[in-house]
Amino acid sequence: MAGIDTGGGHGGKRSTNHEIPLIPFIDFLLCLVMFLLVTAVWNHMARIQADANVPGKPKDEPEDKIEKEKELHVEMTGERRFQLKWQEGTTVLNTIDVERKPVEVGSDITYPDLAEKIQKEWSANGAHKATNDKKFDRAILHTDNSTEFAHVIAVLDAIYAAKRKFDVGGGKLEDFAAFQVTFAAK
Amino acid sequence: MSGDKPLSRFHQPISTPGRRMLHHIPLNFVRKKVMGGGSRSVNQDLPLVPFIDFLLCLVLFLLASFSASGELPIDKNVKLPNAQNAEDMIEAPMVAVSGTQILVDGTPAGSTRAIMDANRLQRIEELAEILKNKRDLWTQLHPGEKHPGNVILQVDRRVPALVVKSVFNTAAQAGYPAVSFMVGKMAK
Repeated sequence: MAGIDTGGGHGGKRSTNHEIPLIPFIDFLLCLVMFLLVTAVWNHMARIQADANVPGKPKDEPEDKIEKEKELHVEMTGERRFQLKWQEGTTVLNTIDVERKPVEVGSDITYPDLAEKIQKEWSANGAHKATNDKKFDRAILHTDNSTEFAHVIAVLDAIYAAKRKFDVGGGKLEDFAAFQVTFAAK
Repeated sequence: MSGDKPLSRFHQPISTPGRRMLHHIPLNFVRKKVMGGGSRSVNQDLPLVPFIDFLLCLVLFLLASFSASGELPIDKNVKLPNAQNAEDMIEAPMVAVSGTQILVDGTPAGSTRAIMDANRLQRIEELAEILKNKRDLWTQLHPGEKHPGNVILQVDRRVPALVVKSVFNTAAQAGYPAVSFMVGKMAK
């Protein structure tokens, strides 16, 4: 067992050798390990932003002079396909159909094809690509009322999978979600 | 005693005690092993120092991964979906939406069934009232500060979008436009 041996103790009155009590120490460590294992949280929670904040029109500018931005509308109203629409106000600029191919990951669903298409669309048509551009492109998700929430999250996840480089300061570039997503709750 | 011949039993009344145990085992190598007289001792030292090192590493790892942020109150009736591209949690009021009811931080704030039965988008008055009260309380506690308007929705994965939209709209109208959906983290 572990101890401290000073080598003396023969001529003196009392030996200075000491045994370190390892067994209680191990018991204590085992108790600590048990406690930490029991209280450990293995499934970490996170959040997906689905803003209801929609920028309104500037107060003092006339309607026709307001610069309208391109927005990507993701519609999951059909059972077989998604529809991606680039819109400027109410004007539809481009419409793309994407086949609805859900991939099951355990008990969850993902749409990798949709994520890939949205990334390509942003690369081709996104307005805010510069690394120092503080504005982000906006995507709006439309669903029908009967869609299960798990599918809504899967599509939101696919939209957030589109990434852009963003300068966080000092020339350091980090991956950020290319779109700011609004959930159309109407 | 009769005669000079001593009884064989008492021939040597005091004798050197010999082995009492194992003396009948004829196999010498077994005797040596059993009595510890073999070439290699059967005693073993437990390697306690590496064991303690291992335990210490385990304790340090568990302490480092210990986080209170993941320990959030989740309604047991809510089964959350998972997502890969999710952000870290923030502190905000929690609205749990299960298949039957709506709760704000554990307080009942409406019925999911009622929305599904009505089959139309609607404002949930109880929810709006509770959220508004929370917002007013926050404003009183933080005078001069702008309310962040964050709210987190814990929605069961099977709840239809109609209910989600109703809760989402109600929260936004009650002064919480920065809505987030709580999800589990899925590995990429």
